[in-house]
Amino acid sequence: MRQIMLITDGCSNVGESPVMAAALARQEGITVNVVGIVDYGAIGELGSQEIYEIARAGGGMSQLTGTERLAQTMQMLTRKTVVQTVQQAVNKELRQILGRDTIEDLPPDKRSRVVEVIDEFSESTPLQVALLIDASASMKPKLAAVEEAIRDMMLSLGARKGQSQLAVFHFPGPRSEDAVLDVNWTTDLGSVKAIFQRLVMRGATPTGPAIKQVMEFFRYGTLNRNEKEAWPEESDEGEGMLGDYVV
Amino acid sequence: MTTSFKLNLPQGTLITGRWKGGRYLIQRLLGQGANGVVYLVKQVDSARLYALKMGFDTVDIQSEINVLKALQRQGKRLGSAKRDLTYLVEVDDYSLQGREIPFYVMRYIKGEPLRVFLSRRGSQWLDVAGLNLLRQLRSLHVSGWVFGDLKPENVLVGSYGEVELIDYGGVSGMGRSVKQFTEWYDRGFWNAGGRTAEASYDWFSFAVVCIHLLAEQPLKQAATQLPQMRSSSDLLNLIRTESALERYREWLRRAVEGEFQDTAEACLLWKELVLRPRPEVKKKAATPVWIISAFAVSVTLLIYSLYLALRF
Repeated sequence: MRQIMLITDGCSNVGESPVMAAALARQEGITVNVVGIVDYGAIGELGSQEIYEIARAGGGMSQLTGTERLAQTMQMLTRKTVVQTVQQAVNKELRQILGRDTIEDLPPDKRSRVVEVIDEFSESTPLQVALLIDASASMKPKLAAVEEAIRDMMLSLGARKGQSQLAVFHFPGPRSEDAVLDVNWTTDLGSVKAIFQRLVMRGATPTGPAIKQVMEFFRYGTLNRNEKEAWPEESDEGEGMLGDYVV
Repeated sequence: MTTSFKLNLPQGTLITGRWKGGRYLIQRLLGQGANGVVYLVKQVDSARLYALKMGFDTVDIQSEINVLKALQRQGKRLGSAKRDLTYLVEVDDYSLQGREIPFYVMRYIKGEPLRVFLSRRGSQWLDVAGLNLLRQLRSLHVSGWVFGDLKPENVLVGSYGEVELIDYGGVSGMGRSVKQFTEWYDRGFWNAGGRTAEASYDWFSFAVVCIHLLAEQPLKQAATQLPQMRSSSDLLNLIRTESALERYREWLRRAVEGEFQDTAEACLLWKELVLRPRPEVKKKAATPVWIISAFAVSVTLLIYSLYLALRF
């Protein structure tokens, strides 16, 4: 099961529509969740609308929160989306087997058994979550809280029965790359001293292109795949940022 | 899908079950949990009072019900007579404005939250409530479950320290991940271990609950420092130095360090500690002389004034 979790505090302003990018991700089987941080000042009508729409298009959920509840919100969204994804698969089966639409249409005792299965799957399916952090200038004062929330999230994911991996990206990069890899797939952040190093905050927020980059990463394990390589080849080490891809 | 919504049903609303047709009249709101709302209701046919929990999400509430059912089954199998087996009364759905809201009916427990109980009866009653709470945890752990979200609000206490855990939404099977927790009482928050559901997770939470109840200020200070600085040694420090914690010192230390064999051992140690005589609370000081003399004067004055008043 694959998820992208976008953490942002405002509107995208560069590149293609993030809503469309999220819709593409969903087609690829990647669910997109969005957390909007609303610490200093309002996020704006436009911003919250976009956040809602990205999550909708990406088949995930969105939530606005302050930094003090960030960790909790991220974990809640991840957990609910995992359950939701399993639930959708189960609903599909139910339709085929029983001709019933959803779990809600089952009488309570039958429902009980179905939910047991959902719980079991939700706990044990392997899970990959790519965290995509908006590092535009306005996010600067919140990054310490974001880092803390990421560590807390890894702790919760690490307790699952199924293998859970986390990767961290931020966007935009120092040389206008769409996304920069901070931490490659890992099951333990204990060894990672600082998640965000050498951050250069910039004004632009290319949310759409960044989502697409992370989709690439899901597919090929690297951000700088040469356009001509058709097959995943772990040519470059995934570490560090390498963002100059052919236009 | 799981859009959370506000449930605000006024007193007197009639809840009719979709599948079994049970009818319940809402009396008042009892509380709001992480995944549902609890009302005090009266069963129309029997006029009995129950607690009715409505869920925001079918799967969430059903998995809570599954835990309760499993506990009830295990309770029956273990033949524990003292435990009331009628905890879960009914499970059904309620149609409200075209949507189905799942609910379950459970027995209504009168009691007050742990903090209120202790401030009313005095903090020494933690001796009793704590032991009862640990026993509840013991039977939960023996059946293979971990409570998870242990906090003062989730502990209801009866008049003589009987304890009932409420909100089973955070209960997880041993070895799984703890799905619901609250930061101060969470082992992960203190960088003191993982979030895997195991007995020691509950011991840790209960230790922090005790510290919170008896030494709130110092705990607050420790909890609000930089996240990467927090550690279990902050808690151990408090346990060593705070005089309010002295009585439970050894228990708390072992709970924070996860040093019990099992919860039965944790119960045993708690019992040993609380059965020790309490150090004499300062003897009631003798009534000071000035009060006695003042009282004598006022009585004399009263008699004299009565005499004056009744003379005519």
